Amino acid sequence: MEKSLNKKDFDNFITSLRGKGYKTFAPKKNNNLVVLDEVQGADEISLDHVITNNSIKEFFFPKTENVLSYRMEKNQVQIEEPEGFAVKAVIFGSRPCDAFSLPVMDKVFNWDCSDKFWVQRREAITIVTIACDKCDSYCFCTSVGLAPDAKQGSDVLLTKISSDNYVVETVTEKGESLIKEFESVFSGPSSDSSDRQVATVEKKFEIEKVKPWLDENFVHAVWTDFSLKCIGCGACTFVCPTCHCFDIVDECTMTKGDRVKNWDGCQFKMFTMHTSGHNPRSTQGERWRQRIMHKFKYYVEKFDSILCVGCGRCSRVCPADMNISEMLEIIETEASQSENKE
Amino acid sequence: MDNIYRPYLMNISDMVEEAPGVRTYRLNFLNEDEGKKFQFRAGQFALYSVFGYGECTFCIASSPTRMDYIECTFRQAGRVTNALRELNVGDTLGFRGPYGNVFPIDEWEGKNLVFIAGGIALPPLRSVIWNCLDLRDKFKDVTIIYGAKTVADLVYKHELKEWDARDDVNLVTTVDPGGETPDWPGKVGFVPTVVEQAEPSSNNTIAVVCGPPIMIKFTLPVLEKLGFKQDRVYTTLENRMKCGLGKCGRCNIGCTYVCKEGPVFTAQEINKMPDEF
Repeated sequence: MEKSLNKKDFDNFITSLRGKGYKTFAPKKNNNLVVLDEVQGADEISLDHVITNNSIKEFFFPKTENVLSYRMEKNQVQIEEPEGFAVKAVIFGSRPCDAFSLPVMDKVFNWDCSDKFWVQRREAITIVTIACDKCDSYCFCTSVGLAPDAKQGSDVLLTKISSDNYVVETVTEKGESLIKEFESVFSGPSSDSSDRQVATVEKKFEIEKVKPWLDENFVHAVWTDFSLKCIGCGACTFVCPTCHCFDIVDECTMTKGDRVKNWDGCQFKMFTMHTSGHNPRSTQGERWRQRIMHKFKYYVEKFDSILCVGCGRCSRVCPADMNISEMLEIIETEASQSENKE
Repeated sequence: MDNIYRPYLMNISDMVEEAPGVRTYRLNFLNEDEGKKFQFRAGQFALYSVFGYGECTFCIASSPTRMDYIECTFRQAGRVTNALRELNVGDTLGFRGPYGNVFPIDEWEGKNLVFIAGGIALPPLRSVIWNCLDLRDKFKDVTIIYGAKTVADLVYKHELKEWDARDDVNLVTTVDPGGETPDWPGKVGFVPTVVEQAEPSSNNTIAVVCGPPIMIKFTLPVLEKLGFKQDRVYTTLENRMKCGLGKCGRCNIGCTYVCKEGPVFTAQEINKMPDEF
């Protein structure tokens, strides 16, 4: 049965969750930022933002995490497995684009062999998404096949139906059991549930035209053109909910250490540099080609998903004002022009 | 669920100084049960770790026909390989693998084999060379062409002698001009030129080439001239890798993940890849 949740019951929901041992994360104001972070009650939750500055990925694939620890004594080594990294939690109020990034990333973290750090966190965390009731000029989810009220990846989806009321849809069994567990917080169906307040996100390019063009244009002037403004800071890769590249390094003292998995990014020169100094992607243009190709061609061929959810964070955060949806518009134009030539 | 980043613990049971800066370690599993279950095939690679310094990637240099141990040969070059060189017999290191695809030696049965290697690229071929030599009856003529900058830089000097002494192996060694010593019995010249002079027959022959990019670049056209079809020429690639498991996102050449679809490729496959080496 369809349920609804009143804004005044958000606090009850968060407190009840915490009472049952769930950690609770939600969008929270932090000076000029809105970040997904731990909240104790609903008064801390921001509801008037477009999208959080950080993406949801860090709750499943943290910026830095131990994949093992060890102790060293003379020439002996003892390995210790990390424990307690997957904590029962609810992420409340994340956006549909962020939620959608999770099933997309499940593919790379599970193909052939599974990364247990990702998998166990995925099992432990339930996602309660709030559909977007507004957007900004950077949003382009509708151009990559999503919508501001897309359900995939969420366990529960809330959609605003009036200033105080949200319609509640369960998407997965996990979401259903969560709603059941906290049934008393929710109300019955709302009479105005047809009046959903969902943002209208402008479609900026035809995604169908992108991959065929990429298939043919590994060598093309646009790659250098795109990269000319780039300062190689890699911020775009860190805020991206689907960028999953990482580094593995050791951090240690004389007697003990950790092997640590850290976020890394394709925009860094060191990312692919061999010990010999040879670098297969030695220019920023080659590194931009990798970024676009990985998201819109390689990942599609390997896993049948676009590695982009149209959240627009990379463009919002870029200090050089680069914009990925503008790049894709240029690619679409190039594609149309080459079609016309034929 | 297993931790895919957890290495086996290995004991260094022996070591050989191969050339200036180049050393081979023989490794044994500290946990015998793990050692018994462990299997690999020629061509696969692994991540070797020095605890406190990190991991580095090389091919397994020993043959799967000799399963009592694993050997790796490395050149001291970066942070981890410098630390690796500080280790001694009896020390512990980490080993994660085997990863990647293999040389399809079953398909090579009844054929002639030509192995061509340059410098530190003999170790990635040593596994498949010994694998084939340990199954010598299954193959026809075996030729090994190996070059290094100088006589001192040749690796596996004892094994080169052993191969040279065998009458079922045709060994050609060469050093770059200026790298020879007065008593050097081998050839002087670059590998592509020496391959052209040695003129291995392409008839019913598989060629396996590994070396620095510049050597491969000039050797492939020579093989083509000698009549080798591209699908009969194999190589093994290396790229910077961190996970070895197709997740960390850096070793790809176009759509191909070297750690998963490689490191072994035919010249035909390489020629289809975009120019991103």
